[in-house]
Amino acid sequence: MNTLTQLEAADFINRSFKPLPRSYGDALIEAAHADPRIVALCADLVTPTETDRFRDELSDRFHNVGIAEANMIGIAGGMARSGEIPFCHSFCAFITKRVLDQITMQAAYPNLTVKIVGFLPGVATLLGVSHQAIEDVAIMRAVPNMAIFEPSGPEYHAAMVQLALDWDGPAYVRMKRPETTPPEFTPQPLQIGKGVIRREGSDITFIAAGLCVTESLQAAQTLADIGIDARVVDMASLKPIDADLILESAAKTGAIVTVENHNIIGGLGSAVAEILADEGVGLPFKRVGIQDRFCEGGTTPYLMDKFGLNAPAIVRAAKTVMEKKK
Amino acid sequence: MKQKHNLSKLETIATKLRLHVVDMVAPSGQGYVQQGLGAADIFTSLYFAEASMDPTHPTWEDRDRVFLTTAHNTAIFYATLAERGFFPLDDLKTYVTDGSTLEINSSERMGPFIEATCGSLGQGLSVAIGCALSAKRQGRSSRYYVIVGDGEMQEGQIWEAAMFAGAKGLDNLCFIVDYNFVQSEGPMDLVMSLEPLMDKMTSFGFACQEVDGNDIAALLNAYETARETKGKPSFIKANTVMGKGVASLEGLMFHQLKFPPEVAASARSELEAQL
Repeated sequence: MNTLTQLEAADFINRSFKPLPRSYGDALIEAAHADPRIVALCADLVTPTETDRFRDELSDRFHNVGIAEANMIGIAGGMARSGEIPFCHSFCAFITKRVLDQITMQAAYPNLTVKIVGFLPGVATLLGVSHQAIEDVAIMRAVPNMAIFEPSGPEYHAAMVQLALDWDGPAYVRMKRPETTPPEFTPQPLQIGKGVIRREGSDITFIAAGLCVTESLQAAQTLADIGIDARVVDMASLKPIDADLILESAAKTGAIVTVENHNIIGGLGSAVAEILADEGVGLPFKRVGIQDRFCEGGTTPYLMDKFGLNAPAIVRAAKTVMEKKK
Repeated sequence: MKQKHNLSKLETIATKLRLHVVDMVAPSGQGYVQQGLGAADIFTSLYFAEASMDPTHPTWEDRDRVFLTTAHNTAIFYATLAERGFFPLDDLKTYVTDGSTLEINSSERMGPFIEATCGSLGQGLSVAIGCALSAKRQGRSSRYYVIVGDGEMQEGQIWEAAMFAGAKGLDNLCFIVDYNFVQSEGPMDLVMSLEPLMDKMTSFGFACQEVDGNDIAALLNAYETARETKGKPSFIKANTVMGKGVASLEGLMFHQLKFPPEVAASARSELEAQL
């Protein structure tokens, strides 16, 4: 076999980079063109957080602070105090757990318009336990003034920018960058504090977020074949959460399964359980999510299966809950 | 000397501030007396001479901002703010009493003249950098002064922030370390030395000056040099003496001073004699 010249090798390498959709990044830069207060900060993960266009088109409003997340959040606090709206970018694990103190003191306590945008939510990464945020929602949910949003797929990424801007304070967005171009899909409008009914049903409700919404829709399809009619709620607004829709779903379907790409402690499942308990609603209920354990690196479908977050796991949970409902 | 300011007037103000520190801490019998006395000249020179601000309009967008990141050094901080007219002097009597906004660690719930809530050490420099960046983009000529504790410089975030400010040449930033050489567990060289600090900050891209932090004229000169320095942030190592201004306390290295009534009374009369 002929060996390649360096130039040829570089050409092969360059052509092997497939441009990924930039559903969030494009929405952010469109918003920034319309609103001069928007600035973007990044802790040396520009392409993985879709901020490359922002860097190139609005370079005077973009700062790569280097691998220094704590400093990034502090800088964002200063910018927000100066009338700007900084969007901070990194992976979920680093932009929440590593800098919780900075977030609480320099964004949340002063109730500043600091937007915290994390990629690689939950188990969904090859990079392993160091890069997996399975407790970020629990942590951020406990921070006063903080809103939390999670899109169910790339078609909702643009809406994340709008929700973050609509919230007049600090907001955390956790999302997974699509690995392939998503199919055409018309998203339903999202609102702060509102869930979206993605499938109507009368026997049981799946309240899901993020990647688990699609899995829940698939599970609902499977269950339909055996005569179980499941409602699927996309709870993209994790905080503030849609208490009315949770209680209405409880009343209507009499059984609830929560589904999240997160530890079952402290996240969506806990939030739903709190609403139900506070209202004195008792009903068959189960939390699908990571069962309070650390995970490992792998492809997303493999991990979703191994840690019980995919459609078959949701079907199993639904059957258990339906047994209790009898 | 390039001073435009009336030095003896400023020195009188510094003595008044020290007297407030003594009066504020005396009722509780312990507190950050030594740091307050030691930093009085830094606060006086910044708030009464160097920094542009308007107490009747504390959110004035073109103000210079002063960040106290050792937010527990509040006896001197609150005394300064009250003397400067940001809130009534009478409020100083409520220092660290239940329900008062004059808490040990300053919080912005007091008002916008607390530029950031910094009790968790090491964070304020980053916030000041964010403001300084915004000011550059917005075309403001405001300056950003950050008073950092020496022990606080052991926090990693300080060095992240210093690296950033140096790399970006943020010349509207003036980083002042109150170098009193004492931290919670004792002298800095026994806990974790920062030396050679001037070399470190120089290598991080700062224009560095070392001054007697209890010499108001020297501080004012240093601020002026910093203002005239273009293309680099400034670092001022202000060597302060704990308990400065009260002969019976000068040089006593206590992070939390016990302040029995006899000591407080002596400190009070020593300071009154200087007015």
